[in-house]
Amino acid sequence: MVSPLLLRTIVFANVIAFMAMSATLTMAKTNVNNFAAATFGTIGIYITLTSTKVFGIGLYPSLLLCFIGGGIVGVATYLLLIKPLKTRGAKGGEIMIATLALDTALIALLNIYADFLNRVLKVMSRDFTLTPYDFNFLGVSGVFIVSSVMLIAVLTTLHLIYTRTSMGIALRAMGESPSLAECQGVDTERLCVVTWFLAGSLPAIAGGLFPVYWMSNPNVSVFIGITVFGASILGGFMTIYDAIAGSYIVAFAQVALVSYISSFVGSWILSYQFLAPLSVIVITLLTFPSGIYGLPWDRLWEKVKTLKGSNKGRK
Amino acid sequence: MTVLIPGMEFFVALAIYVIIFLVVTLSYNMVYGYMGIPDYGRALAAAGGGFLCGYLPGRLMAYILGIQGDYLEKVFLIVSDINTALKGDALLSVALLLLTILLGSLAAGILGLVVSIPILRNVRIFYLAISLLAIQTGFQTICYHWDPILRGEFGVPIPDPFIWVARYAPPGVSAGVMRGIAVVIASGVVLLLTAYYFTSVGKSPLGRLLKAVRDDEESAEALGRDVNKLFLKVMAVSYAFTGAAGVLFAYYQGFVVGTDFPKELWTFWPLAMVILGGLASNKGTVLGTIVFIALKRLIIFYKADLEPILPFSPVWLDGLLLGLFLILLLIYRPRGLVPERAELPFSKEEIEKIKKS
Repeated sequence: MVSPLLLRTIVFANVIAFMAMSATLTMAKTNVNNFAAATFGTIGIYITLTSTKVFGIGLYPSLLLCFIGGGIVGVATYLLLIKPLKTRGAKGGEIMIATLALDTALIALLNIYADFLNRVLKVMSRDFTLTPYDFNFLGVSGVFIVSSVMLIAVLTTLHLIYTRTSMGIALRAMGESPSLAECQGVDTERLCVVTWFLAGSLPAIAGGLFPVYWMSNPNVSVFIGITVFGASILGGFMTIYDAIAGSYIVAFAQVALVSYISSFVGSWILSYQFLAPLSVIVITLLTFPSGIYGLPWDRLWEKVKTLKGSNKGRK
Repeated sequence: MTVLIPGMEFFVALAIYVIIFLVVTLSYNMVYGYMGIPDYGRALAAAGGGFLCGYLPGRLMAYILGIQGDYLEKVFLIVSDINTALKGDALLSVALLLLTILLGSLAAGILGLVVSIPILRNVRIFYLAISLLAIQTGFQTICYHWDPILRGEFGVPIPDPFIWVARYAPPGVSAGVMRGIAVVIASGVVLLLTAYYFTSVGKSPLGRLLKAVRDDEESAEALGRDVNKLFLKVMAVSYAFTGAAGVLFAYYQGFVVGTDFPKELWTFWPLAMVILGGLASNKGTVLGTIVFIALKRLIIFYKADLEPILPFSPVWLDGLLLGLFLILLLIYRPRGLVPERAELPFSKEEIEKIKKS
């Protein structure tokens, strides 16, 4: 029997990983720091709520709607916000503020929608969970299986796209230098649209899974946002693999480690769970600002090999 | 349906909010407008001053007045006793107010220095923005949950240094309005100092240096300027002024709880106000602040009238308008209502003379 705490932590890590991948993609490929990444997840939460409670669609089939709906929001963000700003020559700082403004507007819109669901459609739209819609397989909750399988599937698909297709190579080229990529005939506009579709759809899928374990409301991204950025900063904001690694480390620190410590010091420490990603941000920025991605892996690997060699020599 | 007409209370509250937020936005403009630091931790500065106001004056006055008992356990009784003493002693009240403003500014200034440490590591601007946002949220989380500071989620009442003015209220003016006017005067004095300081800095060589750093950091460094040191100084001074605003706000409310300085109100709104007015433009900042605060207060005032018409709570209009305003501004009017003007070291005639000579 797997520990419920471990299951919870892994599901949380998967959810954060989807969102961190979104933040990393927009940063690495389109050079946009997207503050609304976590709120794209909240859109997924409300797509799932509407699908299950209003239209009677199952929890997991509604993830497809999350993928499409989130993707549309992502593309709209690019076309209506990022592109006009880039066209007028806005600097990175201004675009960052624009995404922050978008985040604020989206949270307000989600609150308005939650009020509408509650007042007009009589659906409980704040502090709700969708636990009853989950399934159980051999004593393991469905959300654990689905979130893990989906994360692996998304990672594999993106890996194959990046390494085996011309589009992936073009995406990498755009990430390195958009103007140079354009000179080589790469349609950067199309690639930006694809990136932003993914940037919207990945967190929305995560949002669809979130209410199975955790109480949800329109402001939930305010709290998750710091965890997402903690994971992305730890990852280094460069590759999705590092973003996932960062997500797992941060999630284990925030959920499993703090719960473990609480068994010694008392449950009061659970109120400060949120300080875990904050500490990760501060420590990363002060000690290795480039995150996991920027660590000198080659040198570390060489050292490991040297140590192995010297051990063999002794034998 | 009858529409309410704002009364005296509305305008006094509006004046207080405008003045307090002007202190915040003018100091914020120095950091963001003049120096280009995306300070997403501004709420931390206000909270630094406000939370100090919740922690210190009550305990200090209880000690001075010899009031016994566990402060947090009997906080309402103790603060009530303190207020009774302050009611009859204008001098003590003013001294308490001044001392708290000074200490609140100092605390916020120190916080400004601490949160600027990532700047010394030359982190990218986005990382700095996130770390400031995270530190601010972390600080407020601790203050909200840790009982010894502000009684955790229950919050604490604060002694009222304006309580004594009620006896000077002319006929027809309520004690509440009179107290509000006193807050306006006290905040007005702080605003005058703030405006004088930041306008002077803006026009001085230092102001031009800040803009030079904002526009091209490497060039400023190449000319021998210690940019990091400059960042720290500006952050500390700017945070100190915002801390004073936090103290005034806390005193105005009369009660402080860990959630009282949300980032939406104390970071994002000031950011929008500065952008609306125009970066590095103090006149624009004043205009932007007045427009935004008036809009916000009107939404709150007419909330009850809007409630039956809308299928949602009108409080969400606040965030929606803020977000949309900012987006439209950034796309269509990035230089704000009053765009930044070149600060010339001499008058144009003098520059012409120098050119000719």
